[in-house]
Amino acid sequence: MNWDLSKYLALFVSESREHLDAFSAGLVRLEKAGGAGEDPAAGVDELFRHAHSLKGMAAAMQQEGIALVAHRAEDVIGAIRARGETPSPEVVDLLLAVTDALSEMVQEAGGGGQPAAPEELAGRLDAAAGVLRGAPALADEAPLAAPPARLSAAEKSPPVPARGRTRRLRVEVEVTESSPVPAVRGFLVLKRLEGSGPVVSSIPAAEELRAGRMPGRTLAVEIETDLAIPEVERTLAQIADLARIEVREVEEAAPAPVPPRPEGAGEPARTVRIRAEMLDEFLDVSGELLLATARLRELGRAMPEAGRRAHEEGVDRLQAIAKDLHGRVMTARMTPLTILTDRLPRAARDLARRTGKQVDVVVTGTGIEVDRALLDEISDPVLHLLRNAVDHGLETAAERIAAGKRPTGRVEVSARRERDRVILEVTDDGRGMDPDALRRSAVARGAIGAEAAAALPDPEALLLSCLPGVSTAGRVTDVSGRGVGMDAVKRSVEALSGTLAIQSTRGKGTRFTLRLPLTVAMQPVLLVRVGQEIVAIPVSKVYGAAQASMEGLDRAGGSPQLAFAGGHVPVHDLGELLGAGAAAPGVRRSIVITESDTGRVGLAVDQLLGQQEAVLKPLHSPLSLVPGLSAVTVLGNGRPVFVLDVPRLVAA
Amino acid sequence: MQKKVLIVDDAVFMRNMIRDIFASAGFQVVGEAANGLEAVEKFRELRPDLTTMDIVMPFKSGIEATREIVKIDPRAVVIMCSALGQEALVMEAIEAGASDFIVKPFKPEDVVAVVKKVLGEGC
Repeated sequence: MNWDLSKYLALFVSESREHLDAFSAGLVRLEKAGGAGEDPAAGVDELFRHAHSLKGMAAAMQQEGIALVAHRAEDVIGAIRARGETPSPEVVDLLLAVTDALSEMVQEAGGGGQPAAPEELAGRLDAAAGVLRGAPALADEAPLAAPPARLSAAEKSPPVPARGRTRRLRVEVEVTESSPVPAVRGFLVLKRLEGSGPVVSSIPAAEELRAGRMPGRTLAVEIETDLAIPEVERTLAQIADLARIEVREVEEAAPAPVPPRPEGAGEPARTVRIRAEMLDEFLDVSGELLLATARLRELGRAMPEAGRRAHEEGVDRLQAIAKDLHGRVMTARMTPLTILTDRLPRAARDLARRTGKQVDVVVTGTGIEVDRALLDEISDPVLHLLRNAVDHGLETAAERIAAGKRPTGRVEVSARRERDRVILEVTDDGRGMDPDALRRSAVARGAIGAEAAAALPDPEALLLSCLPGVSTAGRVTDVSGRGVGMDAVKRSVEALSGTLAIQSTRGKGTRFTLRLPLTVAMQPVLLVRVGQEIVAIPVSKVYGAAQASMEGLDRAGGSPQLAFAGGHVPVHDLGELLGAGAAAPGVRRSIVITESDTGRVGLAVDQLLGQQEAVLKPLHSPLSLVPGLSAVTVLGNGRPVFVLDVPRLVAA
Repeated sequence: MQKKVLIVDDAVFMRNMIRDIFASAGFQVVGEAANGLEAVEKFRELRPDLTTMDIVMPFKSGIEATREIVKIDPRAVVIMCSALGQEALVMEAIEAGASDFIVKPFKPEDVVAVVKKVLGEGC
């Protein structure tokens, strides 16, 4: 089966580059930190994650050469981590050489190539890992290196001779003018062809036909089949209303980036692809436009009476247009989840084949649209959860039969919306996770004390798998199980102000639940006024509000405390925190209950102005250096407002 | 040998019309059914060469009936009788195992053409 991966290529290249850049920067930092006597462990973990991410992405793109090199690099870093020492300059040199080689390979892949792993480099990495482990490289490494190598050989051999009589046929049919519902007829043809063998491609696709779209009344399908051409023709001859039937054998070449359309076929929906960054720029510019409009309105107030009215009308119109543009740009950034989920069954299938397991992947709820930027951020975590599910969650067919289960494991990836959140779940019906094993692993790694571990409730013990290096996996594969994946997943999710939860029942399966905002660029915020300042607090972090005067608060613990939800929360004067000075005594204040690193906290403000959907723009230096500010947003009236990073503000 | 036809439709008028079309084209109409339940029973009993199937019917839809008939005999030939606007249902029926479809309002020669095609008799 061919699979059109080309649409993911640009993203693969740009993301790979980011990982490689971060990898080499991290290497250099690590070398320097070692000299200064700092703890290198965090830096090593970071390197590990970059190599791991790159490997995973390359495997998904079927770039086995890149995956192999990244895998070996990961081995070396793993060995460095196990030794707990700063790597020698020779090892750093080697890893930098790897970065260069991988950059070139990624470049080549971006041009449509399938670069092979440079043997000399792979050999040096093997040797280095062996030396670092204090063991001969070969015995330890061969089983690790073998799977991707075998796979790449299998992928390169042409499947036609391998499967004997199987051939690829291209079938084109044209439905007669008189047929009232050509798309249904096309659908019938497609279904009939599915009975002859797996469909490799269909233009239009089944979904298009279902929607009644069949440009030019023409359908072009490629199938892989054991049947001879006349047999396929005979099947089609039994379908009415076909003006033309053509069946011919085609070479199984690499799929062209854009499959050729049958002559006369129009575009079902005209689309162009643009870089995601361009949409970011559009969003920025449309935000600026709103700002400039507000400025223009201000200037109008100083105009002579005569021309003012006309000016205001003009500004009103301009503002309406600017708002409309802004809304449209936001909509354009929304992307269906299918871009992500399309990749999953294929990734699972490849992995199942490699691990010798049987797996069904069910994906539901893919119609949900999320911000493109968010999609980019969650692709790797979701892919990783799926790999984990197949590699560690699911048992082998034999183990499943012994446990009284269906031999084929099931992994379900589901997405749904709950108000302004999107909930992504990856559920397997495998062996489940063992919270005790995780407690032991975390204690052994020194990540947590034995008593604290024992006191953790099971759901939280399961989250120990997200600590670097903690894993229940008994063995290491080229897929996962090195205890790097889950911490990267948790980190990515939390960076998006989402949450990760794990539920697991031993012998029954595991569910990973990601709760994420729909967009990273847009967030509901609570606008509050302090003196003359207006600032915004993310609504996702607001737990409630109360009214009180600062003097009326309980000061038993030294600092003012507000009774809230059965407990006490410390209250800070936001004006003071922002350096604008405390409010006059005795004034009744509004107190917003939000969250800091140490728990809930109250912020006293002068007025709650209300909730609003805010377009967040990142801060640039020097503003980004001010602790306590996370972003800036522009209100509808053009006024810029800072969004608070409450934990850092309170800690500062 | 004459091909045996089972006609399934909840409207008597439609059944009559379809019966006439098939009779004049040299088919033998061996039975009629007014809903999906009856259709499955009659199919089991009569084993026709061809079944015409209305889609929306009481008790059991034509799609469900088609699914059961194909289960009884995977080589069963079921032709859906649909109306414009029922495209989605027809596709569902195709997935359930229907061999082909005709769209109301239909002309007799069109019906016969579809049927002959499906039965591999050319046209």
